[in-house]
Formats: sequence, structure tokens, C-alpha cells
Amino acid sequence: MAEWNAYYRNEDDEEEQEEGEQSGEYKVTGRDSLVFLVDASKEMFIKEEDGKPSNFDMTMQVVRSVYTSKITSSYRDLVALVFYGTEQSKNPRNSFKHVYVYHDLDEPGAKRVQEVDELRGSKGAQLAAKTMGSGETSLGDALWCCANLYSDIKLRLSHKRLMIFTCRDDPHEGDSVKDRQGRTKASDLRDTGVIINLMHLMKPGGFDVSLYFRDIITPPEDESDLGLQLEPCAKLEDLQNRVRAKEKKKRVLNRLNLCLGEGINVAVGVYSTAVPARKPPPIKLYRETNEPVRSKTRVFHTQTGSLLLPSELKKAQVYGKKQIVMETDEVDSIKKFEDPGMFLIGFKPMEKLKLHHHVRPAVFLYPEEDDVKGSSCLFSALLKRCSERNMFALCRFTARRNYSPRFVALVPQEEESDEGKGQITPAGFNVIYLPFADDIRTLDAPQLPCASQEQVDKMKQIVTKLRFKYRSDAFENPAIQQHFRNLEALALDMVAPEDIEDLIMPKVDQIDTRLGPLVQEFKDLVYPANYNPETKPAAKRKTADNGGGAEKKPKVELPEDELRAHVQNSTLGKLTVPVLKDACKKFGVRTTGTKKQELIDALIAQLSS
Amino acid sequence: MLKWHFLCMDVGFSMSNSAPGEEPPFELAKKVIQKFVQRQVFAETKDEMALVLFGTDSTKNPLEQDGQYQNITVHRNLMIPDFELLEEIANQIHPESQQADWLDALVVCMDLLKKQTEGKKYDRLVIVLLTDLCTQASPDELDIIIDNLKTAGITLQFFLPFPAGDDEEGGGDGDRGGSGHPGAGKGLSREQEQGLDMVKHVMLSLDEEDGLDEIYSFRNALEQLCMFKRIERRPTAWPCQLTIGSSLSIRIVGYKAVMDERLKKTWITVDAQTNKRDDVKRETVYCLDDDNETEVQKEDIIQGFRYGSDIVPFSKVDQDQMKYKHDGKCFAVLGFTKQSNIHRHQFIGNQVIKVFAPKDDEHAGVALSALIRALDELNMVAIVRYAYDRRCNPQVGAAFPCIKQHYECLMYIQLPFMEDLSHFTFPSLENKKFVPTEAQLSAVDSLIDSMMLVEKDESGEQKDMLKVHHIPNPAFQRHFQCLHHRAVNPGTPLPPMEPWLKAALERPEVISERCQAPLEEVKRKFPLTAVEKKKQLKTSAQIFARVIVFIFFCLVVVTPVSFPVCQQLTHRIEQLLSNKNTHYYMKSITCIQAFREQSADLYNSYLQSLKRSIPNRGLEVFWDLLVQDAVTLISKDEVEGSTVSKNEANQFLITDEKKEEVAAPTTEDTGDVDDLLDMM
Repeated sequence: MAEWNAYYRNEDDEEEQEEGEQSGEYKVTGRDSLVFLVDASKEMFIKEEDGKPSNFDMTMQVVRSVYTSKITSSYRDLVALVFYGTEQSKNPRNSFKHVYVYHDLDEPGAKRVQEVDELRGSKGAQLAAKTMGSGETSLGDALWCCANLYSDIKLRLSHKRLMIFTCRDDPHEGDSVKDRQGRTKASDLRDTGVIINLMHLMKPGGFDVSLYFRDIITPPEDESDLGLQLEPCAKLEDLQNRVRAKEKKKRVLNRLNLCLGEGINVAVGVYSTAVPARKPPPIKLYRETNEPVRSKTRVFHTQTGSLLLPSELKKAQVYGKKQIVMETDEVDSIKKFEDPGMFLIGFKPMEKLKLHHHVRPAVFLYPEEDDVKGSSCLFSALLKRCSERNMFALCRFTARRNYSPRFVALVPQEEESDEGKGQITPAGFNVIYLPFADDIRTLDAPQLPCASQEQVDKMKQIVTKLRFKYRSDAFENPAIQQHFRNLEALALDMVAPEDIEDLIMPKVDQIDTRLGPLVQEFKDLVYPANYNPETKPAAKRKTADNGGGAEKKPKVELPEDELRAHVQNSTLGKLTVPVLKDACKKFGVRTTGTKKQELIDALIAQLSS
Repeated sequence: MLKWHFLCMDVGFSMSNSAPGEEPPFELAKKVIQKFVQRQVFAETKDEMALVLFGTDSTKNPLEQDGQYQNITVHRNLMIPDFELLEEIANQIHPESQQADWLDALVVCMDLLKKQTEGKKYDRLVIVLLTDLCTQASPDELDIIIDNLKTAGITLQFFLPFPAGDDEEGGGDGDRGGSGHPGAGKGLSREQEQGLDMVKHVMLSLDEEDGLDEIYSFRNALEQLCMFKRIERRPTAWPCQLTIGSSLSIRIVGYKAVMDERLKKTWITVDAQTNKRDDVKRETVYCLDDDNETEVQKEDIIQGFRYGSDIVPFSKVDQDQMKYKHDGKCFAVLGFTKQSNIHRHQFIGNQVIKVFAPKDDEHAGVALSALIRALDELNMVAIVRYAYDRRCNPQVGAAFPCIKQHYECLMYIQLPFMEDLSHFTFPSLENKKFVPTEAQLSAVDSLIDSMMLVEKDESGEQKDMLKVHHIPNPAFQRHFQCLHHRAVNPGTPLPPMEPWLKAALERPEVISERCQAPLEEVKRKFPLTAVEKKKQLKTSAQIFARVIVFIFFCLVVVTPVSFPVCQQLTHRIEQLLSNKNTHYYMKSITCIQAFREQSADLYNSYLQSLKRSIPNRGLEVFWDLLVQDAVTLISKDEVEGSTVSKNEANQFLITDEKKEEVAAPTTEDTGDVDDLLDMM
């Protein structure tokens, strides 16, 4: 079986592995799904007096932002948008009245984003009134309809979530039959693994969750806290944050044991909280039909043309002019040190963790009570004491099979919550990767004069003028945003892509106005009158060449015997690329490559034979 | 840093003398040279190396004349070391029976150095002498030699069979020379003592303060050479301007200071028979996702991107034209913020850049110093837009002030974009089920106490027992160890890990001992029980075994006609399923349908066993497809011999998922053989 498989291998396999190490890929076992169940009753459309958007409008903005963020980050997830309390009905078998399936469960695309856009603003409200209208409410029917959406999906779903957006805490206005029906259907849904959240919105007189919705939603993971964010959302930003926090399933990179000593294993999950988002890779398409093509890579023998099985291949590296050959499985075995896991080495005070000891983005550690019972308690005790004593734990960490170990610092992080608005930071350890000796470079720091206190004080004024409160989520990546705007424009046949705002561009005009005369004052203090930092300083003083050799000439013709000597002594690498290219020309060596090594190889092949 | 080495080794007859049970100095010196050359070969620096032997029976050097400079052989001229040199050292260098003056040998080296380095670029010249100093050296020209060494800026290193330092002299480095050498400085012959005095005289003349530090003993050298060189890279300067608004700029130069280093070389694929790379060719073909796998020419392929469910054709040309563009290289301040607003765990990227002023621009130095000190005094950082050059996308990052004793700089570290962050919420740990008791907390406290890696020593100074950033990356060390082994001992299995490397990754021994009791206490106070896993991943070997069992069964029971066909079919189905891809699933369903035409009994039993294996093999998606196509068991109604009723056949596909999960482990225990045999 393995052999048959090996003929067709993805050419990118190896690269992907590298990438995986960097960004930490998840094991995909199924699709995530999210259903927005939105109240479309008249109450949702009431506009606030101060020009604030209606609850409905706010909800549509959130839905749109989830759609686009899914497109950018996880297009494989399925999303649906369903309205309840409508006049019109539209659902697969049209068996439910007053339920309008605007989008059934599917991957979000450009068209859907456009369709949600159409529901925004006052025009959107008009459109909603025209197409759907507001009518009777039966949450039971709405939930039942959603259940059908889930069961109609033939794909394996790994995570099922349903979010109810409403500003009515008593949807059936005392109709106990409908109430009971709603409760039953909700419980059915929960039994099939659907997590139901409530995104309750502002209602005059306050939203009382305990009135009805307490029985509908999924009880929180954490029993001590009721988990009901009892304050309704008034601001768009809050709603967006609340949805964003729930919308993504926490995905564990891997689960492993934190071993304190023999037989003391705490089960932990490793999560990545900050991973550089990249532009997704391009897909190859057939020109005629625009359908995706698959690539198959075959490895065969150059002379005989027969396919080569993995067992007929070996791996090699060249050092000191010698080719060193190994079996493929030997190459893997070299990488292996131990099974995945974390091993506690000891503790150090926090000040021993140097700011510049940074080699990779950190990951986050949280106990896995389901794997080893008792993990949470010991984890919590370690966290508590490390935090109180201002310590970090030093561990050896092997993240995956055939990964070599790294040293990491487990830095305690205590839980922080914003009143009524949910968790800001969870409790757990941040895992900081520490550098090895190889990762630290020796630099020759220049010896330069220091600034006087007067100069420093002037700069302090400048710094103080330009203070702001940094937030990590304040900057969007302009390159990625532009890429998706371009795609959006092409997908929707727009004339031009929407403009993006480059948030990491300095606001020069504002800075200049704020600083006013300070800049000139500072410059007068540090720069002499004729100094211009924009230009290069006067030609560098010529230093005596300690090699005692000739000065560098722009182009050096290399005599043949010298070149041969370089080949002989394998010192070709010291020559520059232009010189090597010249030499290639001179000796009639034809090379297709432009890389230094390729030129060198070609020359050696020509001259050593 | 180009460092050129002239190795000068004594192979004279006294080098083979040794006390009983001790390795002769010759062997030790040879090992030092071997280790040293190995390190150079794998570090792939452009450093060159020459090898001169003295005490040889023959004479071969440019200075030999009128009986002068006899028994000195230039074994290899200055060139980059390679495996050839290593093999020569291993096979061609033997103890010989003459003696030569080590000062003469030094002169030969200096001559060689003068001739062979002329007009070449280098940073440092080193002459390394390995000798037992047993031959009387004539000190007549010592001062001239020293002068010449000084003018040429040559570094001299001595490797001796004994440590140079002893207490009376006081100049030697006690740590380096004294330890592990009982009888250091004792038992030396008169020649050796005189020689040692001369060596010290030379070294102190060259460097009054640290000259004696360049005298090593063979044993200590071997200990230090056991690890392969750490990866060294020449820092490349990144000149730019730090800007604040439109009219304030400061000239700067950035250098990578910390970087997640990778091995420079990747593995190449070679033919197993010939070991040749050129014999292997990789070819990629493209095909449509249809039944015929219609091949598509490379020219007919265009590029597209996914926009959610849509795939948008987007050519490279268009992409380049429409992509985000910027003005190139920059280090522009967006604003300043409190250091406490920056969270360390949100650092991103894999490097730290140190930013200095150019070394020839003191005005820039003062301006940058003002910024660094202002930030330091205010406890703030600069948030900057950083772009390496026009081709690289810009980043946002923080520039921290860094003030050291000898220099000041800014340290730039990349910060995340909004798209890079995921905000997960986790249940609070302040849950009464998990809150540790006072007794438990105190057990953890004693554990922490016993495992403190930083302690005050007698003088009250803090001592860090384990500086992990001084440890070389074990992956690289192991990699080179194995490559080296394979190069030198082809045909033998790879060696185990070096003991020193293993030890370097472990808890320091003191800690291990000290934490035993507190660990036992933690174990007592915190009950930990592993939860049995429901799902056990099947290895492909197990799945394969399943197929074998089935084939065996076929051999026993099946009519000769249908057997080979069924065997082929099941084999093919299993192959296809192992791919976990919808495309292959569709194909395997076609096979299953074909199987259905062949034999009712075999087909039914295969399908039943396949169904049982679905959860373990993660083939749910495939099963859903099978259900969609309503490919079920063959019932009595269809084929007379079938033992399956119509109802059973219908039920077969609709079975409750949950029941299936619970049922799975039990069938696993009994195994397939029983099931299949039951049928017989």
C-alpha cells in the first residue's frame, strides 16, 4: 500500500513540513459550522434616537465581518444566516412558517458578502421589510429548521455553533405551548452537539435572560460562573468582540504531558494565540475551464525511465567535497530525540527572562482535565505560586514526533476579565521559546558618544507628545487586506477594488503638527548646522587594507592559472558572482543557473576533468 | 571573520613516549587536529588551513638549504579543509623517528604564511603549534621571531601534553591548566622546562595580559572541541533612517542579533544504487479532477486564489500589478507607548534586530542616544513601521531601548497584526473543583525552592546554573555527529547520541537530587489519573493486517473463479481509502460497486468489516458518501444465498452514530478473524 502511494506525492510535502513547524498546523478532522439565527421582528429595526444603528443593522455588520474573516482565515468553515419572526417563509421544504433561510449552511463566498451588505443601513431595512417582513415568532420552528440545516450536511462537522441575535427576552409573549416547543427543540439541538449562544441586544427596560433564554442556551463550560453575559450589547464593537470570541473554536495544536518528575504528568493542551497570517497559496487552474488541477509528482530514473520506489532512493549531503549518504529513515531518526512532551527542568526568577531572547511566536498552555484527571489542580497550583513568586518554569519541549527539543520558559498569566464583557486574558502559561547558542549572533557594537541630559530631555518632550495607547489588534496587515480586496473585486466584477487604509503608515502631518517647533529644537541640540542625515556622509576615510593587497578594482579578469588554483583548492566560493560569470564565459561553460553554487559547480565540472 | 590556521604538529620520536596506561602525546595531538579539522569542514567557513609536520624522517619545505630546517615537512598548503585532509590525517600521519626544533618549524610556518597569504583577504592569522617541547630549541633568533610575529599580527597558540600554568608562575589560567592534571608541571625534563619558559616568554611578549591563555593542554582542548561549531553568520548591516514625522530623521544601521537559525543545507535525493543525484528525476504533471485524470499541459495552467467558496482566476501579472506596494526600506515611528502595553507573548516573527547609529557618524550616535535614553527614562517604546526593502511587506513592531555598559541600541521586535491574533476564552481556573488547598500549595512551594536554578553563591553573587542560550542546538550537533560518522565509517549504523549532549539537555544533577523528596510530596498531594482513551488510532500496519486476514479468508472459502477478482478489488479499495481524499473515495465506491457484482457473501462480510473500521480510520466522510450512493448490503431479496434480510440491508446504512461509537471497542477486541470465521 505504502509503495503504491509513494508514486504520487505532493511536491510541496517537504515545504509544508517546514511551514508546519513555523505556524503550527491543525489536524483537520472536520468542518466548523456556525448558524446565525437572527430575530427579524419589528423591535429589531427600531432606530436609536442618537443616530446609532438599529439592532438589526448592527447584527448585519457583525455577520458581514464574520463572513469576510472566515473567507480570509478559514474558508472551509460553513456559515448560515436564518431569520425568525418573519412574515414570509423560505426554507428547504417550506415546512416552517415565519422562518426565512437567507443563506443555508455553506462556505461563505463573495456573493454572500454582497447579499449581507444589501441588508445593511436604512436601505437594508427596507429590503428586509419587502422580502421577509416581520410576523409571528416561533423559536421552536426556527430551531427545528436549523436542526435540518445541520442534518442536511453530508460533510463531517467538527464543531457546531448557533448564535441567536435578539432584543426580545420573551419571544412568545407568554404563549406557554410555543415556549415549551422552543425548549424541547433547543434541547434536541444541544443533544446533537450544537452549542447555542445568545447574543442579546439592547432592549428598553433591560434584557432578562432568566425569563426564557436561560433554558435555551448551552450551559457554560465553567459551572461556577453562569456564563451569561448578563449585560446586553449596546455597542457594535462589544458585539463584534463577543461574537469573535465565540465564533472560533479553540483548536488545540497538540495535547501532551508536562512531566514534573517520574510519574507526575500533567496533561496540557498547546494553543497558538498569535500566528502570522499569510496570503493563502495560489491554486493551479486549467485555462479553458478555470477548474482546479491536481499535481502529481513522479520520481523516476533518468537513464532507464522506470519509476523509483522510496526504497530505491537515498538522501545525501555534501561536506568537505564528500557526498555523505543516508537512508531516508535514518534522516528521520536523526531528528528524533524523544517523544513529544514537556519536561520541567527548574525555576528561575522572571528577571532572568531576557527581552531579546525571542526566536518564535509563543504558544499558550492550558490543562486538559479530560486526559489526566487532577491536571487542572496541579496546573493551577503551579500557576498560582509561579505568579505570586514572580517566577517562570524552565522546560525542555518536544512539540511533535521527530522534532528536536527546544528550551522554553513557562510564564504565568493570570486571568483578567472586563466587567460584564467577558475574559480579556485567560489563566494559563505562555510558552516562550528560548534561543540556543547558535541563534545568538556576535555583533560589533560601534563606540559612539552618548547624549547629554539636555538632549535627552528634549527627546522626552517629543516622545511625550506622540504617546498613544498601543493595542495589539489595532493594525491590519495592508498586504493581506489588499490581496483580499483585489480578489473581492474580481469575484464580484467590481470596477476597482475597495481602497484599503494602510494603518501602519505614520500619520506624518499629524505628527508634524503635534511636534511643532520641537523637531527643530532637537535638531539644533544634536546636529551641527551643515549636517544632513538624509545624505551619506563624506566619503569614508580609506583605511589601510590590512590584507596588504591591491585595492578592489571594479572588474577583475581572472587569469586561467589562478582560476585553476581556485578549483584545486576549492576556494571558488571566495570569488564574486560577476567574476564567476566572466570565468564561465571565458571557458565556454554553459550554465542555466545564476546562483553562485551553480556557477561554481559548472566551473568545477569543466576544469577538473 | 576569515581566520586562517597554520597547524604545525610535532611527530618526532619523543611524541610517542608515554607512561604505561597513558595515551602517547602523538595520539592526543592527532585527535586535537582531527577534531579541529572536522569542525571546520562542517562549519563550512571559508577559512583556509595549512598543515606542517616536524620531526619527520624526510624534509620538504621551501627553506631547506645547507642542512638547515631539516626534518620539517609542509604536508599541505593553505586551502579550505575537506574530507581528503581528514583522511590524510587519519592514514598518512604516523609517529616518526626524528626530532626537529619547534622554533625552526615556527619559522617555516611564518615563511609559508607570508608567501601564501600575500594579496589575499583575511581577518586573522593563527599559527597552532602542537608539541611536547622535548627538543632543545635554540633561542638565538627568538627576539627576531617575536618581532616578526608582532609585525605580521599573527596569533600564536600552543597545545602541549601538560598544562602550562602552575601556582608559582601565577600567570596561567588556573581553571584551564590546573584541573584534572595531577602532577601538572612536574616530571618535566630539563628540555621541556626550558622549552616551556621559552613558550611563556614568546606568549607574554606577544600579549602581556592574556598571552598565557593561548597555551592549552591536549586534554582540555579535546574536551572543548567535542562539540561541533555553532552556526556563525557574518552580520549584514541594514542601513536606513529612523524617522519621526517628515523632518526628523536619524541615520541608523540594523543587525540581526537573535534569529531562529536553520541548517544551511537540505538533503538531496540520490539513487540508492549509484548514489548519484543526476540519476533521479522528479517530474510533476497536472491533471483534471475527473475520472480519466486527464493530463493538462503546463502552459494551459493559470493561477487562481480562493475567495471563500469562489475560486478567482488571478494571473501573476495582474497580481503583481494590483498588489500592495510601498516605498521600500523604512523604519518610521508611528508613535510611542508604555512598555507595559506590549505583551511579550505577542511577539511575532523569528528574530530580534539591534539598531545602532553608523560607526562613523557621531551626530547620528548622539541623536539616537537621546531617543534611547528618553525611552528608557520614560519606560516607553517606539511603535514603528519596518520594511526591509521594497520586495518585503512592511511590518509593525516595537523598538525597545537597550542600554548596556559598552553600548546603547534599540531592539526591534515584530508585533502582530490584527489578522494574526486569535482570542480564545478558557474556563476560569478559579473553579472550586480545581482550587488547590494550602497543603497542596506548600508542596508546590517546596518543589520550586528545591528546583531554583538561580542561586546566590558564597560571595552573594547570583549564579545561573543553566544558561540555555549557551547550549548549542542539539539538532545541529546530532546532525553533524551522524554525518561525520557516516563519512568516516561508511556501512556502519549511526552512533548513539553523545553523552555530553544528552546531559546538557537534562536537569542539572544538583537539582535532580535536591528535588526528589519535594517531588514525592507533590505526587502524594496531587492525585493524577490518566483517563482511558476511547479511540485508539490504528496504525497502517494493523489495517494492513486486516486486509491480509481477509485475503486469507478468501483463499479458504471462496470459489476459485471470483477469488482473484475480489482480492484485487479489496486490495484496490484499501489502497484508495488510505488516501483520505474525496477523489479517491469516489473511486473506491466504484470499486465497492464492482465488488457488489462479484460475490454476495464476500461483499457483505467485507462491507460489514469496513463499516466497523470507519471510526478508527477516520473515514466518516467516505461513509457519508457511501450512504449518499445507497451502497448497502446485498439482501436475500437480491441474491438468494445472502443471509441478510432486506430490512437489515436498509438499516445497515442508517445506524445511529452514537451506538456505533460505543460498539466499536468491543468488536475491536474480538477481532476480524472471529467475525469472518463465524460466517464460515
